[in-house]
Formats: sequence, structure tokens, C-alpha cells
Amino acid sequence: MARIRTVELGRYLLNGKLGRQGCLCARRASFAGMSAIGQTRHFASPAQQFEPPIHPRKQAKDQAKALKASGKKQKKKNTDNQTVPGWELTVGIEIHAQLNTPRKLFSPAATSFNDTPNSHVALFDVALPGSQPAFQPDALIPAVRAALALGCDIQHVSRFDRKHYFHWDQPAGYQITQFYEPFAKDGHIVLRARDGIAAEDGDSIKIGIKQVQMEQDTAKTMALPGEVQWLDFNRVGVPLIEVITLPQMHHPATAAALVRKVQMLLNSVDACVSGMEAGGLRADVNVSVRRTDDTSGELGTRTEIKNLSSFKAVEDAIIAERDRQIALLEAGGVVAGETRGWSLGGTETRRLRGKEGEVDYRYMPDPDLGPVVIDEQLVSHLATSMGMLPDAEMDQLISEYGLSTKDALSLVQLDDGARIQYFYNVLDELELRLGADKSSDQSHVLLAANWCLHELGKLTEVSSDLEMTPSGECKVGSADLAAILHHIHRRQITAKVAKDLLWSVFRGEIEHRGVSEAIEAQGMWFQELAEEEYAAIADSVVQGEMKVVGEFLRFKTGKTKAYPQGKLMFLVGRMLQAGPEQKMDPASAERVLRVRIEEVYIPALEAMQAAEE
Amino acid sequence: MLARTGLRGLGLRQNAPPIQQQQRRLLNHFISKVPVEAQQQQQQQQDGSVAARRFTLAVKDNIATASPSTTTCASPFLTTYQSPFEATIITQLRARGAVLVGKTNLDEFGMGCHSIHSAFGPVSHNRGSDGVERSAGGSSGGSAVAVAEGDADVALGTDTGGSVRLPAAYTGVVGFKPSYGMLSRHGVVPYANSLDTVGLLAREVGPIKDLVIGDGLWAEHDPKDPTSLSAAARRRCAKDREGYGVPQQEEALSLNGIRFGIPLEYNIEELDPRIRDAWAAAAKLLQGLGARIVPVSLPSTRQALSTYYVIAPAEALSNLAKYDGIRYGSRREGSTEDSDGDGGVLYAANRGRGFGEEVKRRILLGSYTLSSEAMDNYFLKAQAVRRLVRRDFDRVFRLENPLVHEAELSFDLSDLPDSVAMENKFGPTEVDFLLCPTAPTLAPRLEDVLSQTSAVDAYMNDVFTVPASLAGLPAISIPMPVVASSGAAAAAAGGAEEDTAGLQLIGQLWDDARLLSVADALSKRLSGGRRS
Repeated sequence: MARIRTVELGRYLLNGKLGRQGCLCARRASFAGMSAIGQTRHFASPAQQFEPPIHPRKQAKDQAKALKASGKKQKKKNTDNQTVPGWELTVGIEIHAQLNTPRKLFSPAATSFNDTPNSHVALFDVALPGSQPAFQPDALIPAVRAALALGCDIQHVSRFDRKHYFHWDQPAGYQITQFYEPFAKDGHIVLRARDGIAAEDGDSIKIGIKQVQMEQDTAKTMALPGEVQWLDFNRVGVPLIEVITLPQMHHPATAAALVRKVQMLLNSVDACVSGMEAGGLRADVNVSVRRTDDTSGELGTRTEIKNLSSFKAVEDAIIAERDRQIALLEAGGVVAGETRGWSLGGTETRRLRGKEGEVDYRYMPDPDLGPVVIDEQLVSHLATSMGMLPDAEMDQLISEYGLSTKDALSLVQLDDGARIQYFYNVLDELELRLGADKSSDQSHVLLAANWCLHELGKLTEVSSDLEMTPSGECKVGSADLAAILHHIHRRQITAKVAKDLLWSVFRGEIEHRGVSEAIEAQGMWFQELAEEEYAAIADSVVQGEMKVVGEFLRFKTGKTKAYPQGKLMFLVGRMLQAGPEQKMDPASAERVLRVRIEEVYIPALEAMQAAEE
Repeated sequence: MLARTGLRGLGLRQNAPPIQQQQRRLLNHFISKVPVEAQQQQQQQQDGSVAARRFTLAVKDNIATASPSTTTCASPFLTTYQSPFEATIITQLRARGAVLVGKTNLDEFGMGCHSIHSAFGPVSHNRGSDGVERSAGGSSGGSAVAVAEGDADVALGTDTGGSVRLPAAYTGVVGFKPSYGMLSRHGVVPYANSLDTVGLLAREVGPIKDLVIGDGLWAEHDPKDPTSLSAAARRRCAKDREGYGVPQQEEALSLNGIRFGIPLEYNIEELDPRIRDAWAAAAKLLQGLGARIVPVSLPSTRQALSTYYVIAPAEALSNLAKYDGIRYGSRREGSTEDSDGDGGVLYAANRGRGFGEEVKRRILLGSYTLSSEAMDNYFLKAQAVRRLVRRDFDRVFRLENPLVHEAELSFDLSDLPDSVAMENKFGPTEVDFLLCPTAPTLAPRLEDVLSQTSAVDAYMNDVFTVPASLAGLPAISIPMPVVASSGAAAAAAGGAEEDTAGLQLIGQLWDDARLLSVADALSKRLSGGRRS
């Protein structure tokens, strides 16, 4: 069986493994347990000298090759390429994800990443004669959580089956999976516009999940030069889940959105070790087309594209395969049911094997393994302790806190979910400081969101330099940011001072929890000028700018329609330059200036003009 | 440390190890033997209390013994394989005084009825004075011969469809297959997991009974074997059974009042008349001892053999998938047929070369019955028949099957065949044990089975042993004397009065303790009768 492994392999090797901190989130929303890649993404430590030669560049090469082969075709943008008139596309997806568990599915050997190859291998993992599987119930916790997040019915009894095929990465000659009686069935995912579905699918679309099953991973193959393959059995037997959707997607973008959403859901309930882009998730898509006027009710012959390892690959491969099938049918041809492959960045799918080369997996119930009985109590316990799912959280951020959809989505997705946790930490601290004083209008929440997202974002070029931890702490301590925000909210410091303080905290120039002391020490408290002092500065600025005052008069007399706000702000700028900036609030300056113009300078100008006439 | 011994030329494959030493009487029942020094070393490691119960143990070579001993399964794939771990049953027996003397020959991976399908050549057995080489039965033929020849006090075999009972019957020893789930299979190289059991062979019932019941093997759950019954399940099963409590006084056991069922369906046309007579004589003997003999019906018996030959090869296909010439066996370098590229099949040639004919036959059988086109008609039907076979047994036994839901235990009288006599208005008599022959014939001549061309003829030998395997029930084969019958047969057989056949006793699940006691008592009477 030809299978593409190199791409996936590169990702796998280059990414760290997840921390095993508690899965259940103490606070309201549940992102605490999400992938901890940021924390542990390091290359092998010096102790792990084993650095097998790999080909991470193979992917780029394939990409270049594919582009060249396509003859520099001008590619249509995907957003404009969701439908083909006269044809209906149908897509079903199978997604494989590694469960976040400490042990393998059928042996007590540890699951690991980047450890010395073949150092976590039990007798059964390499299928030594006479060894037997020992189901590790630990795997059920992330598996059931995943299935609950996907809205599935958890089956009280499920069973394991053997799926037979020969491959060097599979020592038993079969993979143990759940074919006949999976542990979860009949789920669904609701995809919304904000998830990035095709515009044609409207505001939201519900995609059915046929089943979710537990199964074993295979060994890791490392390709060496000269057709030599090395095998690392640390990965063999690591628990996976396979999520199988119903063929209910009709647009490529929606299919990609589904994969993205599955990953987000799995991460949010701490079911999965790493995201798709990190190689912990891979998708197979089934694609078929039929004419929109087809009345037979039957779907067209489907092809399967295996091992797609990025969201973009899912969308691009579906578009390419759809177009290939349509072209074939329009030319009078027939679509063959076959397995096809895809290179990242390519423009065409390629045939891997046809139906005649298809393996009959000879599924057989595993005679060594008893049924898995999942207690109703376990299911309800996991359901209640799972925390908030991303959609509910988004709804809260948008409708309760008043964030824009875009900001809410960024907050939820940044740093693998750690940013939102940071936001909650900052908000907690801030509300503690504000006490009863917190605004009823949630303006402090927006302030916190704005700073956690945008001001924090200005500190570094890449967000990983913030060193955000899964529990929501980074180089700028949540308590320190909350202190800064508290002073802004109370108008005790200016925004400019606040931004300087943020930099100082980031650079470590201010001690932890030393924000207020630093302001005190450097005399940065905002001591605002009195009205008369503002008025005096306003007067000094306007004196030389009587021409500008003319604009305001023209507005007042109805000669122009729009209030000359730009001119006003220009003058405010001049005021800030003229006066002691650290004692001035631009808003106050603007207010006083406006009054002075209305009450003093326009009448003065009118008087002058009247005198001239 | 281990020396390979006595390989015969017959059927020897090219990669089998060279003959190092002439084996006594050329029976070829050992694949490897533990040298005397190593045996002494084992003895020194035993402390006083264990040493007092010391016995010699031969082990079928599909049960893992730790290196330096090999575990070959009589397969060319594993001729040099040394297991990094030891089977649980070996560890358990060592703790009870076992001194390992060698690994015994078998049909490759346990598949066969005559122990002739071995990479190390066939096992033979010659009893009596005629000097004719007989089949030792299979697949645990080497273990049976080791016990019969006195090379070991006890031998371990594996019984999937009769592989311990049949050789015991052919070689005149005792062969016991325990309830499925009682003895750990961890370290037993699987042939068909849902049927495989570890079995014991000895010259008398006593040593087997002492180990399994007296020394508490029956009570030991092995967490490494997912099919080993849990401690709680063992307690539950034993609750309604006799013989697991305080050790019984030998004299206390009486056969008086015990009901033995004679399965009508076992009186087949192919049954050797001498065996039929001996069977009847055994029944008569039991009646004389106060037991009741009751005819019973097991209507699914006829389908049981075909069912077995669907299920077992299917599981075998799966279990043997790992032997691909990459990790086990050898791979021919540079051959284009081995290419994994387009059109090439990397493993096909390795597997074609590596497996023996019988194993290949069963892999092909399993490949067919599990294929997506044939699955429904074969594998699934076979599973359904397997349940019927178990229901047949549950219906005739007085004791209930502790592993079956009560709802499944009620039977409709209208389902019974007309031939079954009613005991009263509640139905036919329920029995304690079933009494039947172990095999339809006496041990055939080795020459005949080696020239046998039809595999189905060989499969016929399993007809009486397979049903208990399908239902997971305990069963034992004890020697019963075959009286020289009339005319030419007796004349031709010469010393025919020395012949024995196997008499099989089958009990309800987990009734192993009583089964062994009854078999012990009956066995003594039978052999006593022969001596007189």
C-alpha cells in the first residue's frame, strides 16, 4: 500500500508533545487544558542525540513540482470557486486525531514524542508471539469528551475489530479499530458563518457525524537515503479517534471549516494532543459530483483523497478533485472509485490505487478483547465537567461582553487557546481591583479585551515570544496588566503612560506587582490641568489659527454640512504639544477647545467680519 | 544451553536445524531439550517445599519459554525465535515444582490432527509389539508422546479443537482441556484465540487434578490475559460448583447417582465398531457403579465441525498476519516479486515460502470466509451456529452456565427433536457429564496419514472434540481399553488387546473440579478392568 508519510512525519518530529496538566478547567470557560505546544515545542534536547535524517523539504519540492507541472495556470481564488453551475458536489470526511492519554490503547507503555526511538514499546506493541492486548481505560476519558463535544450518543457497549492489511509500520498485520460497534454514534456539528463556511451555505449549516471510533496508530517510518526505512515503534498503538461525517457538505470551504471546527472542539475539551498543522490530526475526504438536475437521488461515484494534513489542503484538494470529476464526466467519461493523493500546494489529485488494488480489510471482531462498557455515570460526569464549548464561549464574548466577532474569534484562537485564558485572568484581577466600582456598561471588559488582543500584540512580532502558557500567563503578568488597566479605567494615568508601562513590564524593568509603585516613583500619575489651564492653552493655540476658526463658522452658518472634526483634532494636537502632555487628557482638551471655539472665537470672528462689512 | 535433538528427515524443511543427536526410538517428539545441567540448575533454584513436589514438565513448542530456549511453533518462520518472556502457565507450574525438560513437537502453530505438519518432521508413536508407527494425534502430539514415553510426568499442550484430547486418545494417556478462561493464555502463541486453551497431559488423571484443583491453578487470574476470568467471575462460577472448596477425601467420591449423557448424534457411521463397543462397555461399567446413563440429543453437533473450520481459520488468518518475512523468517533479497512498488506484493513470496501446507490451507480458508463477499454467509453464520452448539450443551446439563444470561437459558420444548425422551413434563433428563469417544477411530498408521491427500479426512478426527471447544467447556480424554473384536481385525491387529482408545467426558462450564474427580475415579476402574 503506497501511503504518503513524509509530510506528516516532518511535522510529527518537529513538534513537541502536550503537557499532561488536568483536563478539566476550573474557571468558566474551558481553554485551560488546550494544547500546550507552545510550552514544550523544542527540538530534541542534547540528551536525545538521535537525530535521524529526514526530508522536511520534500513537501516544498513536491509543491514546486506540482506547480511546474500545472503550467502556471492562473488559479481562481477559492472564495469564488465554491460552486460549478449545473453540478452538485458532495463531500464526506474522516478525521483522525491522537487522543491525549498517558498510555497506549492496549499496553501500559507511555505515549511519547521525540523520545529515544523504540524506548516505549511493550510486548504487545510489536506483536510478539503470545503477547496479548490490555485495554487501558484511561483512553476513554478524552475519547468520550471528544464524542460529547461532537454531539454524539455514547454507546453503552462497543467492541474492537481487527482491520487487516500488510504494512511494515504495523507489526501485527492488523490494526485494532471499532468498525462494527463504535463507541459513539449519531452526532453533529453546527458550522456558522464565522467558522468560515462557504457563503452559499448561509449563516449556519449542520453536518451529521456518523460515528466516532477508537483505534491504534501505526509505527513511525523514517525515510533514509537509498530506500532505507527506519521504524520507531514508540508511536505504534498510540490511541487515535476517527471521526466520520455523513456526506453532507456541498462546498469546499465548508469542508475545510468542518475540519477546523473539529480540531477546535477537540482542543477545547482537551481530547487531542496536537492540532492538524502539528500533525496530530489528518483527514481523508470522499468526493463525488452529480448533475443538479439528476433525479435519481443517487450520489455520483466517489473517490477518496487520503492523508490531507492542512485545512488548505482539504479545500484545495476537494476543488481539484471536483473539477477533475466534472471535466471527466463532461467529456463523456466515467469516474472510477479509487484512492487518490494530494501534494500540498498542488493543483491536481493523483491516483494512488484503483478499486482492483483496494484492500479487503477482512474486519473481524477481536477475539482477545471483550466489549467496552461505558457507564452512564462516567458520561454524565464528563459532560458536566467539560466546561464551555467554543461556540457558547463565542456567544458570551459577543453578546454579553460586546466584543466584535472578529476580536472574539482572535481571542479564542490565539496561542492555541491560551490567550483567552489570559484574558479571563486579567479580567478577574481587574474586577477584583474595581470591586463594586466596576462599570455597569462592561466598558472595562472591552478595555481588557482590547489590551489583551491589540496592545499585547504590538509587543512582539510573533505571539510565541510572549511565552504564553496554557494556564494563561505570559511575560506580562495578568496582575500587572490588570493594574495598568485599573489605572486607565479610573483615569489615573494616560493611555500613553499606560503603553509605556506595558513595555516596561514586558522588558522586565518593572518588578512583578510593582506597577503602581513605578508610577508613583516616576511621578506618572495623571494630575489633570484645571479647566482654566486648558482654556489658556487653547487660547494660545487658536490665536495663530484664525483661518481654521473660519471653517467652524462656515459650518455654523450652514455653508458646509460636516462638522470640521479633523480641524478640531488638529488643534487638539497643537494643544497637547503646547501644554504639559502628561497632565492632559486629549478628551478634556477637545471638550474645552470646542467650548472655547463656540463661545469665544466664532463670536469674535463674526464680530470681525461684521466690522469689515 | 538448549540442544536441539532428534530430527527426522521426513518433511524436514531446508531451514530446519541440523540433526545433532539420535533420538530414542526416533519418535521425534521433542524439538529442543533442556540439557541435564540446566535441569539441575532449575532444581537448585527450587526451595524445600516446592522441591518436594518436583515433577518433570514437557512443553508444547507454541508456548513461550524464555531464552535461551526457542519457541518455534514448528514453523519455518520461527525456527530460531527466542521469546523475551515466559508464558504465565510456565511460571505458575515452576512455582509448583515443574522442571522443564524440553519443548515438544507439534503441527505448525497447532494446526493439524496428526502432528505431521511440522518444520521438524512428523511425530510418531509406536505402541504394542507390532512395531507399526502410528499417528501420535495432533496438534499436541509431541507432548502426548513425551508423557506416554515417560520423558515427562506432565506435559503442556494447547487445545483449540481437540489438540490435547486427540493425541491423548491416540497415545493412551490422559489429556485435559479446562474451561475457557481458566488457565492463562499469556505466552501461548495464538491459533484461534476464542477457542485456544492451555491443556495438560499426564499418564493418570491424578497429577493434572492436583495441579489444577489442589494447587489452585484454577483460581489464578492473569491480568496479562484479557480472556482470563477475573477473580470475581471465578468466585461466582465456583459458587455453584463442587470440588473447589476443602480438598475431598479420595474415598468420598462416589459415582452413585451421577448422570451421564450419551449424545445420540455422536454415534456416527464412521465410528470404529471397536470404539463403539468400548464406549458401551464404559457406560455399562458406570451403570454398575450406580451412575445413571441417559441418552441425550445435541442437534447442532452435525454443524459444529464445519463451524469450527470456519471460525478457527478466520482467527488464524488474523493471528498469522504478523509472519511476513520482515520481522520473522527470511526475506529473499533482490527479488522483484518482493517489491512494494506498483504491482509488487512485498510479503506474498515470503509467506508463500515460510508457511507449511496445512497452515497455508487454513489461511486461505480464513481469507475466504472473512472476505467482504463471504463474511455474511460463513463467518457470521458460524458465530450463530456456535451459539446453538452452546445452547445444546446448556440444555442437557443439570448445572447452569454461569456466563450466560438467564434469559438465554430458557428453552422451548417444541425446539427439541422428537427422538429425545422426556423425563417428566418439564422436559428431558438433565445430566452431569457427557460420555463419548474422543475420536472416531484408533490411532491410524503414520504411513497412511502421511499419504492422505484429503484434508477433510483429517478434519474428521475432530468431530467429537470440537463441540466442547466451541462452547468453551471442560473436557477430558482418558484411556479406555479396546477389546479385540471379532474376526480379521483382531487377527491383523495382533496384540490388539493392548490397544486403547480415548473416552471423553465433557462437563458444564467451570465444573472442572468434579469432571477431574469423576474422570479419575472412572479411569482407575477402566484400567483396573483391563488389568484383571
